[in-house]
Amino acid sequence: MQRSIQRWFIGGAAAMAASIALSACGSGYTTSPQKNGTLTSSNTALTVMIGSSGDAETAAVKSAVADWSKASGTGATVVAASNLGQQLSQGFAARKPADVFYLSTDALAGYASNGSLLAYGDQLTNKDDFYPSLVKSFTYSGKFYCAPKDFSTLQLVINTDIWEKAGLSDSDLPTTWAQLASVSKKLTTPEHVGLGISGEYARIGSFMAQAGGSLMNDESTEATADSDANIKALDYVKDLLAAGDLKYAKDLGAGWGGEAFGKGLAAMTIEGNWITGALRADYPNVKYKVAELPAGPAGKGTLQFTNCWGIAADSPNQAAALKLVEQLTSKGEQLAFSKAFGPMPSVKSAAPEWKSANPALVPFLAAADYAKGVPAGKGSADVVTELNSKLETLVTSDPQTILGATQKNLEALAR
Amino acid sequence: MHATTKRSRRSGIRRDETASGWLFAAPMLILLAVFLVVPVLMALWVSFSDWAGRGSPFSGDVHFVGFKNYQALLAGGGLAEQDFGTALRNNAWYVVLVVPLQTAVSLFLAVLVNRAILRGRGVFRTVFYFPSVTSSVAMTVVWLFLFSASGAVNTVLSWVGVNGPNWFNDSTGIFHNLLAAFGVSHGPEFLTGGELLGVSWWGWLSGPSVAMSAFILMAVFTTSGTFMLLFIAALQNLAGDITEAAIMDGANGWQRFWRITIPQLRPTLFTVLTLGLIGCWQVFDQVYAGTEGAPGKTTLTPAYLSYSTAFNNQQWGQGAAIAFILFVIIVVFTVLQRWILRERAVSKRHIRLYQGPRPSEEGANTETLAARRETTIKSREPRP
Amino acid sequence: MTIFAKPEQEAPSTETLDSPTNRRPQRRPRANTAAWVAYAVLITIAAIYIMPFLIQISTSFKTDAEAAANPVSLVRQTWTTEAYRELFLNSDFPTWFKNSIIVTVLVTLGRVFLASLAGYALARLRFRGRGVIFAALIGVMAVPGVVLMIPKFLVINQIGIYDSYTGMIIPLLTDAAGVFIMKNFFESIPPSVEEQARIDGAGLFRVFWSIVLPMARPALITIIILSFQGSWNELGHFIVATQDPLLTTLTKGVAGLASGQLSSGSQYPIKLAAAAIMTIPVAVMFFIFQKRIMNTSDGAVKE
Repeated sequence: MQRSIQRWFIGGAAAMAASIALSACGSGYTTSPQKNGTLTSSNTALTVMIGSSGDAETAAVKSAVADWSKASGTGATVVAASNLGQQLSQGFAARKPADVFYLSTDALAGYASNGSLLAYGDQLTNKDDFYPSLVKSFTYSGKFYCAPKDFSTLQLVINTDIWEKAGLSDSDLPTTWAQLASVSKKLTTPEHVGLGISGEYARIGSFMAQAGGSLMNDESTEATADSDANIKALDYVKDLLAAGDLKYAKDLGAGWGGEAFGKGLAAMTIEGNWITGALRADYPNVKYKVAELPAGPAGKGTLQFTNCWGIAADSPNQAAALKLVEQLTSKGEQLAFSKAFGPMPSVKSAAPEWKSANPALVPFLAAADYAKGVPAGKGSADVVTELNSKLETLVTSDPQTILGATQKNLEALAR
Repeated sequence: MHATTKRSRRSGIRRDETASGWLFAAPMLILLAVFLVVPVLMALWVSFSDWAGRGSPFSGDVHFVGFKNYQALLAGGGLAEQDFGTALRNNAWYVVLVVPLQTAVSLFLAVLVNRAILRGRGVFRTVFYFPSVTSSVAMTVVWLFLFSASGAVNTVLSWVGVNGPNWFNDSTGIFHNLLAAFGVSHGPEFLTGGELLGVSWWGWLSGPSVAMSAFILMAVFTTSGTFMLLFIAALQNLAGDITEAAIMDGANGWQRFWRITIPQLRPTLFTVLTLGLIGCWQVFDQVYAGTEGAPGKTTLTPAYLSYSTAFNNQQWGQGAAIAFILFVIIVVFTVLQRWILRERAVSKRHIRLYQGPRPSEEGANTETLAARRETTIKSREPRP
Repeated sequence: MTIFAKPEQEAPSTETLDSPTNRRPQRRPRANTAAWVAYAVLITIAAIYIMPFLIQISTSFKTDAEAAANPVSLVRQTWTTEAYRELFLNSDFPTWFKNSIIVTVLVTLGRVFLASLAGYALARLRFRGRGVIFAALIGVMAVPGVVLMIPKFLVINQIGIYDSYTGMIIPLLTDAAGVFIMKNFFESIPPSVEEQARIDGAGLFRVFWSIVLPMARPALITIIILSFQGSWNELGHFIVATQDPLLTTLTKGVAGLASGQLSSGSQYPIKLAAAAIMTIPVAVMFFIFQKRIMNTSDGAVKE
């Protein structure tokens, strides 16, 4: 027995040695291309990895990138990821990441802290054109990492057919919590619920903002989850749930708020501007209008979501990548994207044109001044997931307990 | 005399055989070393390091951190511990329900199908076995559809007046629901007060969530066919004379089944239980393709948590640590089960399987098949 | 099969169905009723086992709306092949299919060759270290597959075969269980034929290749079935071994489809169609070798 164990060890060691020898000749890892300040530059073609919402988006990005490629002479291909987060992770670990990619706010901290990302924000020539709140969303430990790609705020989306059938008019558009509760009740019938939303922080959080609360302070340094304002917000949502005038999309048999809305299971929903593309594609017959979310005890408030164009620290051609990103975030390209698949431009200079082209969607943009970002610290995405799992059973739970647990988890991060 | 000549012939070619022996076995051995042994050693290192998922885990700026990753999972007091505890809770209930259920169902099917006077039993066997060959991903897709809120299962339930749950979105534990039916909706103080791995005792006792129960049904559906074949093979090798003697003695069918058939099936039962136990701790495919841990993290399993901790959250050390703890759990459970069933269970049949053949015995042919079938299950089991 | 036609054999199962109370006298008529009950139970269970697949196929020919409205009905009002057209013309599905085929075929061939080679060495050749190899094989078989996801990624990455066909195929060739099956098989056949050939001066590999392997057909088929099914249905390994969409296999692609994208809605017909198509090759495999898989009494060795 002793001897066989010994042999095992020798075998293991030999195998280890063999694999290390193999790695020496394999193409596994090359030296880090760049240390500080200067961007890498070569004539390597760029890979652009996107998490696409559908064919329209993929086609639009492809054509924009192809135009740039033709003009600049640098090759570039667009890859639509099936699971963006996982593919990025594996790419970073393998040191063969895509050069340019979509990056969400909650993924920023993780990749930034392990050095996978190039913090290029300050080198952007159009840096000052981005909305300041978006720049803040992509700033991690003092560095502006990446250029915001687009953004949206959450607003109230209303099915106008159901609205009119219930005898409601424009003057009934809710501007307070009480009014929202009362129209939700009026719109609730056996066929559909008044308000149907995804049962997660990323929607319910807008009520917290209206009550003046948030999970963390603006700098993501201090946990503020168990504030009275947040409790008030959850109490309000819980009351709506208990009354049956608000239901989660899942309980309506839909994957998300937009689907519940499109299928006519909900008369109103709370979503961002991405719902417009989905409705056009999947439920073209649904007539709707977008209204600003009602004001809560602390006035107007909503959440804001955004993605950026990340550039990999291991990219061999960062200089070209930066040029590409500048092109993709330019006013012209962003307006073209908006036309093709509906995102809202992240630069202020595009606002007037966008508003006149999309008069019905103005509420999404109008809220840019007061909308709040979601917590973006390292690990906060996990805390939010945990919070979401609790919010699923909000109707039978105690808001204070839920938020207390979230507070504890966030404090553990801040430490 | 004969023996001597044989030996001399053998020794005559022995030197030649040592070289070729290693040569023949080498390709598979190298593969196993490079893709099984080395990976495990590398992951072991990662589980003790602070590697954050960029570049090589052997590079200079990766440090040894001792048991930090393990500690975060087992006594960290944070979200990591709570998630791990939740995943263990979920998977433990999965094991507790799937293993006995799949064993009982497969034995039941085997006994039913293995009837001599039955016509068309080939058809029945095919039907019961077919779910076992389909991929777990395809099965998950079908299951998500069948068990959707207004899906086929709920429609059928509504025919008999039952208002089905919203399966894959219902995070409530079935035992909690059962208790709630009797008016108990909050656990007693001594259960809600204490906690293990960030989950309260009351939480541990929730039972699988309704969503997990759908996966449990799926596991039974997809594995019972394979195990049924194992049982059929065993039933067909039963010693008929004992049964005959029992009939003479006047034992009725039920008694014969429990006192004679079951004891003779013990080796197969042992195999089925072991394989079930090993497989059920490795739930991954369904969760990856179906729920990603939702609703309310009640379909989160250690295998999926390990994957997502590493690949989605860049906590590679913790992810690897989860994998090793899972490994230990599986080994401990297997050993424990072996120990519980020890005296009678270590059948000759089972030993033979690992020791080689007894070509002279009449059962030799079924041996290969049994071995094959067991490995079939083994290779399938990660996705029961 | 006929040897099991003894009435005593099925008697125990009969009783599990109806009430076990004293029923020693008049066995015949009772056995008949019991048989009918058994049939009824079997048919019911069989229906339950088939239904999911029937519903799956029928739904894949429905429209999205009808799938949601009539989840159970097998006859559809509107017959549409939209889901299949979408899959084959407007998605990466053909690529996934192609990749799955390439990987499965190569893995199966590789495993058959390597496992029989090693199995033969362990069964027939006497050499130093055989015992160690054998012990190592058993040890390796005990490592649960799911635990290996992160480790495999690390190694594939380290040796530079990440995101390539090589990285998808080579690691899947490891098959300790296959070696086992082959070893057991070789030990169960008499060595006389090959020994004769070797005495006649044939080289070891030639003996193996032209005499032993052809005799091993039944065991080889077992390995083929296992490898085919195993690599066709493999998911975890492909997740960690690739990121390029052009290297996506069916399992990985359909899993991505199943977990869904934000705006794509339920789209059950497409998902179910994809799942149905990915089941076809294993189903074909299953029906070709059905006899071998299902026939538990006809031993592999007898052939």
